[in-house]
Amino acid sequence: MGVRVTTGRTLLAAVMGFGVALSAQAAEYPAIGKLPQLKINNAKAELGKRLFFDKRLSGDAAVSCATCHVPDKGYASKEALSPGYPGNGHFRNASSLINVAHKKVWNWDGRIGTNLNDMTREMLTEDYTMNMDMRIMQERIKQDPVYVQMFKDAGYGEPSNGSVRKAIPEYMKTLTSANSPFDKGKMSASAKNGMKLFKGKAGCIQCHNGPLLTDQKAHNTGVPENFDVFLDPMNHQAFIAFTMFQGIPNYMNLKRDPGYYNITLLDEDMGKFVTPSLRELKYSAPYMHNGMIKTLADVVNFYNQGGGKDSKKSDLLKPLKLSGKEKKDLVAFLEALSGNKLTSDKHVWKQPYPAEYEAIANWTEVPN
Amino acid sequence: MRMKKLTLTLVAAAVAALFAGCQATAAKQESATAPAKMSAAKMAMKAAGPAPLAPLGKAPIPPDNKLTPEKVELGKLLFFDPRVGGDASTGCSTCHEPEQGWAWAEDFSRGYPGTVHWRNSQSIINSAYFPRQFWAGSASSNEKQAKSAAKGGVAGNGEDDIMEARLALIPEYKKRFKAVFGTEWPIIDDVWHAISAFERTMNTTGEYEVPLDKYLKGDKSALNEEQTRGMALFNGKAGCINCHNGELTTDLDFHNIGVPPNKRWEEDGLAQITFRFEQYAKGQTEKGYRAAKSDWGFYYRSKNKWDKGKFRTAPLRYIAYTAPYMHNGVFYTLEEVVDFYNRGGIDEEGRTTLFPENKSPLIKPLGLTDQEKEDLVAFLEAFSGPEIMMEKPEQPPYAPLFNMAELKAAQEAK
Ligand code: HEC
Ligand code: HEC
Ligand code: HEC
Ligand code: HEC
Repeated sequence: MGVRVTTGRTLLAAVMGFGVALSAQAAEYPAIGKLPQLKINNAKAELGKRLFFDKRLSGDAAVSCATCHVPDKGYASKEALSPGYPGNGHFRNASSLINVAHKKVWNWDGRIGTNLNDMTREMLTEDYTMNMDMRIMQERIKQDPVYVQMFKDAGYGEPSNGSVRKAIPEYMKTLTSANSPFDKGKMSASAKNGMKLFKGKAGCIQCHNGPLLTDQKAHNTGVPENFDVFLDPMNHQAFIAFTMFQGIPNYMNLKRDPGYYNITLLDEDMGKFVTPSLRELKYSAPYMHNGMIKTLADVVNFYNQGGGKDSKKSDLLKPLKLSGKEKKDLVAFLEALSGNKLTSDKHVWKQPYPAEYEAIANWTEVPN
Repeated sequence: MRMKKLTLTLVAAAVAALFAGCQATAAKQESATAPAKMSAAKMAMKAAGPAPLAPLGKAPIPPDNKLTPEKVELGKLLFFDPRVGGDASTGCSTCHEPEQGWAWAEDFSRGYPGTVHWRNSQSIINSAYFPRQFWAGSASSNEKQAKSAAKGGVAGNGEDDIMEARLALIPEYKKRFKAVFGTEWPIIDDVWHAISAFERTMNTTGEYEVPLDKYLKGDKSALNEEQTRGMALFNGKAGCINCHNGELTTDLDFHNIGVPPNKRWEEDGLAQITFRFEQYAKGQTEKGYRAAKSDWGFYYRSKNKWDKGKFRTAPLRYIAYTAPYMHNGVFYTLEEVVDFYNRGGIDEEGRTTLFPENKSPLIKPLGLTDQEKEDLVAFLEAFSGPEIMMEKPEQPPYAPLFNMAELKAAQEAK
């Protein structure tokens, strides 16, 4: 336990330390604009795609990454709270994975600040996500001739759990926004007005800035708790296992998601979450770390009231006094940040997987 | 989060590095009885001849895990509860089925969903007596055994934190753990304590006493004529007593008796996966991983080449209910077992261990007649008494820990 918590904490303290101080100066924010292009190795990404949709990558072979990160839902979970590995629930919404390769910190609380390789490892091995012993995973993959060939073609040689954690991130690089009205410069008048409000009166830009529309820092916006985390023991058990493992004091009595507090253990960080990207929101409802807000109009209403109720809420949130039209314009702008769905076979592995593992022929003669 | 996996995956991607990682953790433990390295005690025992079969006494109870009826009852609930495992589908009783001799009636045990095991499931009956558990003796007590069973990737595949969290949300368990162990919340180590306490009551004593023990205690009518002739062979011409001896019907030592590899590894993809995984999990070198084509048994612990293919002498009580036999379940009947010994540790197709150089000198063709083989099988049947059956307890239900009013109050106080 010690190993991960300390690395997590120091890494993130370095990445996120001065977040609030910086954004408080209302000066220039990184411009919202197009995302840079990423260089992609096609053979590796193709392999990563097959792995992403393959249920054999979970302990009991019942869930794949796509069970929770659903292509049709912007690679987020369709439920407010993500499903869990069988026998478990979850306590957070599964984040959208579109543009995830552009980020520098991951998870709603920002506990991973290294790379998508570590993120993939966490998803594969965590008890309530995929519960995979990666040594078994590696041997399963070696048993599938299609994978053996694909690993070879990708330049990885013999399949290994290390290259799985490289190929899946390569695939995630392909999940990027395409053709949003915003990127094409084809926004409606209403959306254009919404963008002005976003940068001005509504003050969204203070936290949602840069090409991803996030400062990747943690803030408390006062989103109410999702009581289903605690009322459904399947979810609560995952929450307890998580907070126990993270070394959160008094975890058995905790009745709220501690968020960024997990990383610093400072009271002032209780209930802070990392600002999410605002791209591709059209597909990824419901919103927020716990899915508590159902529609974009509801999100705008939430901010219009100055956010939720929390004594540690960010000072940047104030009632906005937006008119009905202004609220509609803001929603129109948020919608203009969504492009095409990534659901064709360019992004989704649609071929069937073998129902059984073929035996290796001449087993006694060939080396393992 | 799974610590074993975390540590492992921190090791660099290269296969070679993976092996280095596994190896470093694979401790060298007790050394086996290499022919050249026999201890003085063992030499003395050899000279005096093997300990004669003796009736089963009381199961030893370790001082740090006293038996109480409440603890045993709690252990029973946990033994039958699949939530003590990864996806809440595979608990102890899943592979140790009361109707299947408290074991699993296939050559390889069923595995965690999506896997198959690579060894035969052993019966838990009388396991309390064995200071070396598992086929290759890798656990030294029921407590340590239970822990590795619940966590192993092809067995329970559970992790401590999620299993503890589950039990905390089952009020019946919270109450019982508090009463038995005095803790506010269930603690995972106490799960192993309670299960072990239950296992220590699962013995062939009292009403389940086996005919052989009745006989050894003086009831000469407990064995029929055929069986007494079989006993004489067991103790004499067939030489079984050399290893299956004393109160426990085992010398608790490790021998290679010639059991051939299970052919399923040649034909079954799922079994091949587990086979290679086990080479990792048991700390093989890369060279060993590439080369292994059978279960190397005690070698995985000692790392001495003369231990390849050695297994703990299997105890013989209750075996009428626990077919198939041997670490990999290659024999389905006691007749096949006796034929195998009679041929000198060779099966009917002439197959034997891949390490004939390690085969025990005690295993050689016996020259038993058909009648003698029948007598021996009849005697082996006297190692089992009444079948031990038990009604499966109902699983205590989950309940939310907090109510709506408490949650609303916490929300208000934010
Ligand atoms: C059982 C559901 C589930 C499965 C299966 C799952 N995830 Fe996730 N994923 C989540 C949830 C929930 C989160 C948010 C976790 C948090 O914030 O604590 C998440 C977060 C992530 C993130 C961070 C996103 C961000 O923007 O911060 C990445 C990347 C990710 N998952 C990738 C994967 C990959 C790759 C796989 C398959 C190897 C996978 N996930 C499998 C539920 C799942
Ligand atoms: C103080 C910084 C801050 C400001 C200002 C801010 N946000 Fe946010 N926003 C966040 C954070 C942090 C979250 C995630 C909160 C959570 O999950 O609990 C978020 C979440 C969202 C989401 C949900 C995204 C998703 O994937 O679930 C939307 C939509 C959103 N904000 C839009 C806006 C708009 C529109 C404005 C301006 C009216 C705005 N935000 C102002 C920090 C801010
Ligand atoms: C997936 C099937 C499976 C599950 C689940 C399982 N076991 Fe086992 N058990 C086995 C197999 C197979 C062996 C022999 C393994 C070996 O030698 O490597 C075994 C061996 C044992 C032994 C050793 C007996 C002896 O004579 O040495 C005991 C005791 C035992 N199991 C108890 C348990 C308990 C307690 C649990 C639950 C915590 C459990 N098992 C869960 C399959 C299983
Ligand atoms: C050299 C020591 C040795 C001798 C002699 C010996 N055995 Fe064994 N016996 C073992 C070992 C070791 C095992 C476990 C082997 C394995 O699993 O691969 C075993 C397993 C068995 C089993 C299977 C039990 C189970 O639960 O699967 C039976 C039955 C058995 N022996 C009967 C006999 C009989 C009958 C004789 C005499 C003909 C005999 N043994 C002689 C060492 C010996």
